[in-house]
Amino acid sequence: MSAAARCWCCCSHRHSSLFRSLHCHLQKTQVFSSSIISNRSVKPNFRSYVTNLSDGGRQRQMGIYHPVQWKKKRGRMWFSTNSSVMREREDSYVSVEIRCQKHVVDAFSEALLCFGASSASVESIQCDDDDGDEIFISLIYTIGKDVHQSIIHAVDSIGLKSTPSYKISVNKPYNWLKNVEESFHPIEVSNGLWIVPQWRSPPDPEATNIILNPGMAFGTGEHPTTLLCLLLLSDGGLLKGGESVLDYGTGSGVLGIAALKLGASSVVGVDIDPEAISSAQKNMMSNKIQANQMELYLGSRRVTTAHFLSEDDLSLIGKKGKFDVILANILLKPLIELAEEIVSYGKPGAIIGLSGILTEQLPQIQQCYSRYLERMTVSQMDGWACIVGTKKKLSCLV
Amino acid sequence: MAAVKQVAATIRLTVNAGGARPAPPVGPALGQYRLNLMAFCKDFNARTQKYKPDTPMSVKITAYKDNSFEFIVKTPAVSWFLKKAAGIESGSSRPGHIEASTVTVKHVYEIAKIKQTDPYLQYLSLESISKSIVATAKSMGIKVVYEL
Repeated sequence: MSAAARCWCCCSHRHSSLFRSLHCHLQKTQVFSSSIISNRSVKPNFRSYVTNLSDGGRQRQMGIYHPVQWKKKRGRMWFSTNSSVMREREDSYVSVEIRCQKHVVDAFSEALLCFGASSASVESIQCDDDDGDEIFISLIYTIGKDVHQSIIHAVDSIGLKSTPSYKISVNKPYNWLKNVEESFHPIEVSNGLWIVPQWRSPPDPEATNIILNPGMAFGTGEHPTTLLCLLLLSDGGLLKGGESVLDYGTGSGVLGIAALKLGASSVVGVDIDPEAISSAQKNMMSNKIQANQMELYLGSRRVTTAHFLSEDDLSLIGKKGKFDVILANILLKPLIELAEEIVSYGKPGAIIGLSGILTEQLPQIQQCYSRYLERMTVSQMDGWACIVGTKKKLSCLV
Repeated sequence: MAAVKQVAATIRLTVNAGGARPAPPVGPALGQYRLNLMAFCKDFNARTQKYKPDTPMSVKITAYKDNSFEFIVKTPAVSWFLKKAAGIESGSSRPGHIEASTVTVKHVYEIAKIKQTDPYLQYLSLESISKSIVATAKSMGIKVVYEL
C-alpha cells in the first residue's frame, strides 16, 4: 500500500497513511454497519466498525452500506467481511424446540409469545397418535434475547410444575428462502404472457416470458393485485406503444419489465426498499433489459453506476409531469398519503392505475383520488381491487 | 360436499402492524411450511392499515397440508394497551407492592371497546372485558383510578 493514500471519504485530502484515511472516514460517518475482526496488531480505537469505503461516499449519502472485504498487505489485520456474512448475522435467528403436554399447548404458546418469542409453531397431530402426551413447539427468537428467562417466565405464568427440556440452535436464513422458492410455478397472466421463475423453464418459449427471481422483494406475479395490474397492461389497452411508464413501488420490478415487453418505450421504477431495487436490477438482467430502458430510483435518488450524469438526471423530482402511464401497487395508507405526489408525475390525461387495496378500502381511495382523476373504473379479484383513472386536465392541477 | 382440509400446523406470531416482511420472524416461521410469504405479508399489511405502525399485532395462522393458509389478526395485548395508556415502558417489578403508574376508568373503557372487536371476544359484555382489564392492570402494578 502506498504511504500517501487518497482519503476514502468524500473530502479530497491526502493522508500520510491508509490508517489516517480510514480514521478520517470513520470520524465523518456516523452510522456503522458491521463489526470488524481484528487482532492484536490493531489499535483499540479502530476495533469498532467500518462502512462502505468506495464510491466517493455517494452510496453512504443514499444510506446503502455494503461492507467490503479489505486486507492490509503488511500485517495480519483485516476488516470485516463481505456482505453475505453481514446479512447472515443480521438475519440469523435462534430456533428453540420445546416439549410440553398436549393440553397446555395453546396457553403455553401464548405465554411464550408474551414473554419474548417472535413466533411459536405447533405441528398438528393426528388424533389417534399413540406416542404419548407430549408435543413439540418450535419457537423463533431474535438474536440477543434471553431464551431461558423467557421460558421460565412463561412456565411461571401458566403454572407448569417444572420447566420442560428444550433445544436451542442458531439458524441462517437461506434454507427457508429455498423452501419458499420451490412453490413458485410459471403463471399465464393472459394469452401469450407468462411469468416464469428463474429456476424453471418457460412452458411456452414463443410467448412473452418474464423471467423473475423476486428474492426478498414483493412481486412474484401470483398475488391478485399484481395480476390485476398486469391484466391492465396487457388486456386493458393501456399500452399502445411508446409510452413512458412509472412503476411506483416497484418491488421485484415485475410491472415495469412487463410494460417494456408489452410495448412501452421507457420505464422508471421507484421503491424505498434497497432489497427491492437490487431484486429489480437482477430481474432486469435476467430479462435482458438495458439500463437506459428502465431506470431505478431508491427514494428519489437514481441508482446507477454512471458517473457522468448531472444532479437533475439523478433526481426523480425532475421527472414530474412526464409519464403517460403510472402504476402504483402498494397499500392503502401510502396511496392516500402520497396521492398528490403520485399524480404529479403524470402528464395531463395520463392513465393512473392503483392497486394493493382490499375491496372494503375502495371507497376511501375513490374519495381521495376523485380530486385528481376522472373516469375511474374498478376491477376486482379475490377480495382485492384495482382502480384506473385518467388525470384531470384542469390547469389548476399540476 | 367440500373436503375438510388437513391442518399441517398452527403458527402464532407477533408482527408490527403494516410491517410484515419476508425477513425473520415471519420468514422462517412460514417458510418451513412452504407458505406463500409474500401473499401473507401483503394481506396482513393491507388488513392492518387502520392501526398505527409499530403496533404489535398477534396473528394466528392455520397452515394446511396443501400449502394454503388462513389467518386471524387479533388486537394487541391488553398489557400493551395499558403500558401505552399509562405511559410506561414495562410493568412494575413488584406488582402489588410497587405501583408503576395509573390509568383512569375512561382508559379502561376505551381499551375494552377496542378489544370487543377482537374475533374471540365478541360475545363478552363490555363489563366483563373491563373487569378482566382491571385484573390485568393489577397484575402489572398499574392502579386504576375511579374518576374520569
